[in-house]
Amino acid sequence: MWNLARKLLLHDRLRFAVAIAGVSVSVMLVLVQVGLYYGFMDTASSIIDASKADLWVGKKGNESFEFATPFDDRTYYRVASVPGVLHAERLLVNFSQFKLADGGDLGIQVVGIETAPGHHPLLTPWNVIAGDTRRLAEPGAIVLDRSEYPKLKIDRVGHITEIAGVRAEVVALTSGIRSFTTSPIIFTDLRTARSYLPQLGTDPVTYVLVEVNPGVDVAAVQARINALPHLAAYTTHEMARRTRTYWSERTGVGAGFFTTAVLGIIVGFVVVGQILYSGTLQYIREYGTLKAMGARNSAVVRVILSQAMISAALGFVVGAPLAMAMRAAMKGANLTVALSPELYTVTAAITAVMCAFAALLSIVKVLRLDPASVFKG
Amino acid sequence: MTTAIAINETFPSAARAITIERGTPLARLAGVAKTYGSGETAVAALSNASLEIRAGEVTLIEGPSGSGKTTLISILGLLLTPTAGEVWIEGKNVAGLGERVLPGLRARNFGFVFQGFNLFPALSAIENVAIAIRMKDPRARNADAEARRLLELVGLGPRMKHLPADLSGGQKQRVAIARALGGNPPILIGDEPTAALDTRTALSVMELLKELAIAQGRAVVVVTHDPRLERFADRVVRVEDGHIQAITSSGGQRESAPLHLGPDPRRSQS
Repeated sequence: MWNLARKLLLHDRLRFAVAIAGVSVSVMLVLVQVGLYYGFMDTASSIIDASKADLWVGKKGNESFEFATPFDDRTYYRVASVPGVLHAERLLVNFSQFKLADGGDLGIQVVGIETAPGHHPLLTPWNVIAGDTRRLAEPGAIVLDRSEYPKLKIDRVGHITEIAGVRAEVVALTSGIRSFTTSPIIFTDLRTARSYLPQLGTDPVTYVLVEVNPGVDVAAVQARINALPHLAAYTTHEMARRTRTYWSERTGVGAGFFTTAVLGIIVGFVVVGQILYSGTLQYIREYGTLKAMGARNSAVVRVILSQAMISAALGFVVGAPLAMAMRAAMKGANLTVALSPELYTVTAAITAVMCAFAALLSIVKVLRLDPASVFKG
Repeated sequence: MTTAIAINETFPSAARAITIERGTPLARLAGVAKTYGSGETAVAALSNASLEIRAGEVTLIEGPSGSGKTTLISILGLLLTPTAGEVWIEGKNVAGLGERVLPGLRARNFGFVFQGFNLFPALSAIENVAIAIRMKDPRARNADAEARRLLELVGLGPRMKHLPADLSGGQKQRVAIARALGGNPPILIGDEPTAALDTRTALSVMELLKELAIAQGRAVVVVTHDPRLERFADRVVRVEDGHIQAITSSGGQRESAPLHLGPDPRRSQS
């Protein structure tokens, strides 16, 4: 059956090429769109995912990492004194203005972390490619991502500028740490961050990162913190999911990407369906002859399904590398297309199902084909 | 005279020695009628048709267009269910059976040859024959060898790897005949198999069909408009206005319609 299916497909090479092109575009669109979505979602929660905290504590009502209501140090101490808490760290997140070399200002996202010599914080810049993050404890020291060079109009470690009118010196560079909001992320020490965010008042804190004592139930500590007024504690996984959900649902970005992916599937469905159907019509007398001579419907249907599966397999084999090429091209534009083995597997399955459904019209045609029709004209 | 259809070990369903005496009935139609539509728009395509198809004989079915020839062979070939009457195959009246059973009966008993050949243009001659063998019996293991043997039988051994587009009309029809022989059916039905061929080629195709009837004991039923083919016929069935007007043997004797209905006279031996 495979041999017959392959030869019937290849007999009209132009039509076959159109079918493969249709499936390939469909596969590429699905992979790139869903990969972009996951890339954005990974970006949205990357700082949370990179933390070593067991719990993230913030004000009740916070919906995303970026837009969090600050509180003061007294709350931090209340959290730190909850039974079961081994270690608690303050985190300050908010927006400020970065002075550009040309005199202009650019909005940035300041992430203030607690740094101290010999201390391993629960959150620290990762993927460091230049400079020394140990200098973060120095007043005015900042760490930023190399991909933000053009936006911030800087070109080296050691660059000195101002944030909110306060001195800032680039002491280290990271790679691949970007913000979903498109505002460059600036890591700095908590004290420096507070000086960059004067609008937040005295001793502001946005989150308390908690490390639970070994052997203590994280959920129990989480419940104790949740019992404190105006606070909500989330595990790192929950916090990441909340932030992703916020960006995916509140901005409609998820619906946008998935709509395009579904359009890709529809394009593939229509192209393959049309190609298979026209091929079935072309060979309808031959199929009828086989049915007249005793071929069962199942045998003829297998030929058509085999054509659909060949189209799916070749379309995937062409479409997947196209998606990889798109990922490489988009990397230059600071866009992350997250192509995981799971995404490839699911897309391959979707492609097979899409092509199988596209073959339905052809299958119905041969199932309804009256073998006696071969005698008519 | 007794002739033997070769045992075909490729097909478990046909892997039995069938010894058929020439003239033995292989299929019978008894009082068959077919009406299309109902009520005032009903059209009687065939009425009270009785016919016996016998081993080793070539039966021509003649008649003007619209006379009911195609309906007759469609019912005979189990492609069409009659409105009334009986169709006897393998010793059973199969007139009322559905599509769950009929493909198997067709695969065991009938091969079809058409005016338009109906060969897959993407497949070589041997592939066209082999795929039909596999479609008839998915368990067939030696379909390629069997297809090769059948193509050699019809004189196309040297061209078995050619595509239909590279074959003449006569050669294509020989491929179609080889395909019809796949599965070793005892009855070959041809729907104007020579209509698209020039005279010389048409006669050579009929010679081949006649040879298959004589040498292998198959029953060959051919619908035709061409009176020149009558010299190959053992019997000529004349159909007009949905009725079998006459059945004439090669000696010019007229036959009456078969009245005897009974079990399959073929004897099967394992």
